[in-house]
Amino acid sequence: MNGSIGVLPIGKVPETACSAVAAHVRSVLGLEAAVLAPLAEPDYAFDRNRMQYNAATILRTLEAMPVPGCTKIVAVLNVDLFVPVFTHVFGEAREGGPCALVSLYRLGQDLHPERPPGPQILDRLLKVALHEAAHLFDLVHCFDDQCLMHFSMDLEALDRLPLSFCPTCKALLK
Amino acid sequence: MQEKLKIMVVDDEQIVRESLYQWFKKFSHVVETAASGFEALEKLEKVPFDVLFVDIKMPKMSGLELLERVKQEYPDTSVVIITAYGSIASAVDAMKMGASDYLLKPFRPDQMTLVLEKIAGQRELLGKYRYVKGLLAEKTRFDNIIGQSEAMQVIFDLIPEVAQSDSSVLITGETGTGKELVAKAIHAKSHRANSPFIAINCGAMPESLLESELFGHQKGAFTGADKNRKGFLEVISGGTLFLDEIGEISAKMQVDLLRVLEEKKILRIGERHPIDVDFRLISSTLRDLEKEVAEGRFREDFFYRINVIRLEIPPLRKRRDDIPLLIRHFLRKYSHETTKQVDHVTNEALECLKQYPWPGNVRELENAIERAVVLSKSRTLDAQDFAFLGGARLRPDRPRDLREMEKRHVEEILQEEDWNISHAAQALGINRVTLHKMIKRYGLKRPE
Ligand SMILES: [Zn+2]
Ligand SMILES: [Zn+2]
Repeated sequence: MNGSIGVLPIGKVPETACSAVAAHVRSVLGLEAAVLAPLAEPDYAFDRNRMQYNAATILRTLEAMPVPGCTKIVAVLNVDLFVPVFTHVFGEAREGGPCALVSLYRLGQDLHPERPPGPQILDRLLKVALHEAAHLFDLVHCFDDQCLMHFSMDLEALDRLPLSFCPTCKALLK
Repeated sequence: MQEKLKIMVVDDEQIVRESLYQWFKKFSHVVETAASGFEALEKLEKVPFDVLFVDIKMPKMSGLELLERVKQEYPDTSVVIITAYGSIASAVDAMKMGASDYLLKPFRPDQMTLVLEKIAGQRELLGKYRYVKGLLAEKTRFDNIIGQSEAMQVIFDLIPEVAQSDSSVLITGETGTGKELVAKAIHAKSHRANSPFIAINCGAMPESLLESELFGHQKGAFTGADKNRKGFLEVISGGTLFLDEIGEISAKMQVDLLRVLEEKKILRIGERHPIDVDFRLISSTLRDLEKEVAEGRFREDFFYRINVIRLEIPPLRKRRDDIPLLIRHFLRKYSHETTKQVDHVTNEALECLKQYPWPGNVRELENAIERAVVLSKSRTLDAQDFAFLGGARLRPDRPRDLREMEKRHVEEILQEEDWNISHAAQALGINRVTLHKMIKRYGLKRPE
């Protein structure tokens, strides 16, 4: 697999969260990765009725904004994301698209925007980020519940996943 | 979720269509979208879909209107209604109209996953039911009931009448007489015709499988029950259940089914809450169930439940008049299937076939014709082509003596009618006195 991934902080996101994502993109996906300069909170995507941020709107904005030096972008946020019809999402990416989103917001209670996230939240963030990043490389959900591409119904299911891909998905990533 | 589904998202809002499209694609489902009910119907006309996700509030054609049309024209397509919070009443209406499920907007991603898993499970069951149906069709291999004999006319007259009522029917008759076809015909003529006809051969299934197929089970109810599963009795919703060889079921199953027939409720295995069911039971048996009851091998109360209406299908040897008609039907069928042109039987062959006792009934006759057609090198089948049926009567050394023929014929009819002199005389078209004279003249004796 070729290319490099830019990890893009949007709004107030702990720095360690972004550098951890970049490190795991390198070690698990085997891709070049670098943390990019942060963007401001995505106020343009705020939905007053739902008091949440529309993930589809953010993705569309990022897709229209070319970032030189990387093939795909994984944006890390700390706001409550939703996709119309769904109550919320942990992350979002279009299959084969250029950008993925992942939010810390629903990954745990004890989160402070200024402080580094605890080990449990960090673990969840890395899993969601790698899962969404793999969608950018055309991977779909996997039946194997010991594979990062397995769809997790909730945080509990997410916690049961290992931070790795099954042999099939690994082969598809190559 | 292993099952790949063909899904259509019907919503007038583009953003909703797009989000769900992306969502389903990630699960490898085949997805299409439609912006209106009309567009959805247009697409349905071209290819079948497994499931439609339909927004309830759409201009021109509402989701409920679309649901109604889909349920009428494509009853195999599942419909899930998507509705905004606060319109639960219409969601309930939708369920009454046959929607598989509803989702209140916005919903959690895992709720969507659960709904899809449920539908995939139902479709798996539907597939299995088609498979069972296919097996039966393969086993009987004639697609409609054929007969012009008086015996069959009686059955033809009874079918629509029996179809009117909702009582349990017990169809008796030897193997190969077409009991399944009669059950299907009753279903097709009844008000249940638009719901499934599910056929299960009780003799061919182990008890535990039969139980879980009929009643369904909860996840973890037994080893291997890895998810909740609806049983046929639940899935059939309003249709007809045909239990072939009901004489084979265990005493426990008789009790369980008796309870279902009385209470119209079932319990999935491992579940405590009863579910309402609605179906009509048609069963069939080769056994003499009255005798089984008398000898204590079959429950009397259950027997009365399933035997409200009785239909007896006559064996082929009691409707020999139908043999030429059936031969013509099967000749046409197998000539077509083998692309051979075999369309005649000699008079001699016809005589042989009319005289043969046909222990396997219509099914055996069909197999015989199929085999003769496959092996035949000419357009016409002669007696030799049926030599494989064996037996002296099939050899073309039939008596040329009319008296000898009469003797054999009278003897045969007497045997068929169990030596009931009145019945045999009636079948022969003579009176009892004449028959007695013939019995004496030919020295016929009732076999021990
Ligand atoms: Zn995913
Ligand atoms: Zn995998």
